[in-house]
Amino acid sequence: MTAEVIIFFVFAAIAVVFALVVVLHRNPVVGALSLVASFFALAVMYVLLEAPFLAALQVIVYAGAIMVLFLFVIMLLNLQHVAEPPTRPIQQFLGYTSCAAFGIGLVYFIIKYAIVGRPAAQFPSTARDVGIRMFEAYVFPFEMVSILLLAAIVGSLLLSGRTGQGKAREVSR
Amino acid sequence: MIPTHWFLILSAILFTIGVMGVLTRKNGITIFMSIELMVNAVNLTFLAYARQFGQTHGLIFVFFIMAIAAAEAAVGLAIFISLYHHRDTIDVDEANLMHW
Repeated sequence: MTAEVIIFFVFAAIAVVFALVVVLHRNPVVGALSLVASFFALAVMYVLLEAPFLAALQVIVYAGAIMVLFLFVIMLLNLQHVAEPPTRPIQQFLGYTSCAAFGIGLVYFIIKYAIVGRPAAQFPSTARDVGIRMFEAYVFPFEMVSILLLAAIVGSLLLSGRTGQGKAREVSR
Repeated sequence: MIPTHWFLILSAILFTIGVMGVLTRKNGITIFMSIELMVNAVNLTFLAYARQFGQTHGLIFVFFIMAIAAAEAAVGLAIFISLYHHRDTIDVDEANLMHW
């Protein structure tokens, strides 16, 4: 029982518990903050996997940028007091049971088939290794991602813009 | 050194929780957060196998997935803002214009 194993189990438990809070809690603000905690625990997992660069990216991009966007939208739409109406009980029961069956099957087959040998001795995972590989072999996907992000900016501005909104509201009602 | 399949099991559990959220909740934002949870579970699998085989390709995939998740979050939240303007709710059962 080394320190690494203890850290793994503690942060795995944190990640799973806060993920359950995201799914089960009625208030979306609590859900968003729990998701931030879950992402921090996953960043610890990345450090345990010897990838500190991606752990930093996880904290900055996910916990820092994306989740702030989520919280911002929840606050903007004032959703923290919206009560969720009771859902159809049969469908919900089917959803939970089928998810449990899916998860148990997944874990069973991982234990049965996916146990592999010891990891490779060397894992080039510093920012330098990632950068060199990205601008040698993955230049074209990198440029595509930049175009995709531009398209996302334009698309989200277009979708959430209020121009012509009165007309659209009349059409939809 | 922690064996790779422990990370795979953790990733499977997180993915299952995400699927549960998508199937059982009706609040659009919560469904979206469950999708983010599933994306992160897949990232963990990529990284576990990247370390297993000592290759950088998995790391770069995780990098790209993070960029795409950022784009997805921006566009998806814009769609929910637009939906809220039209319907005054983000309950996904109310968004039934293309239903039937």
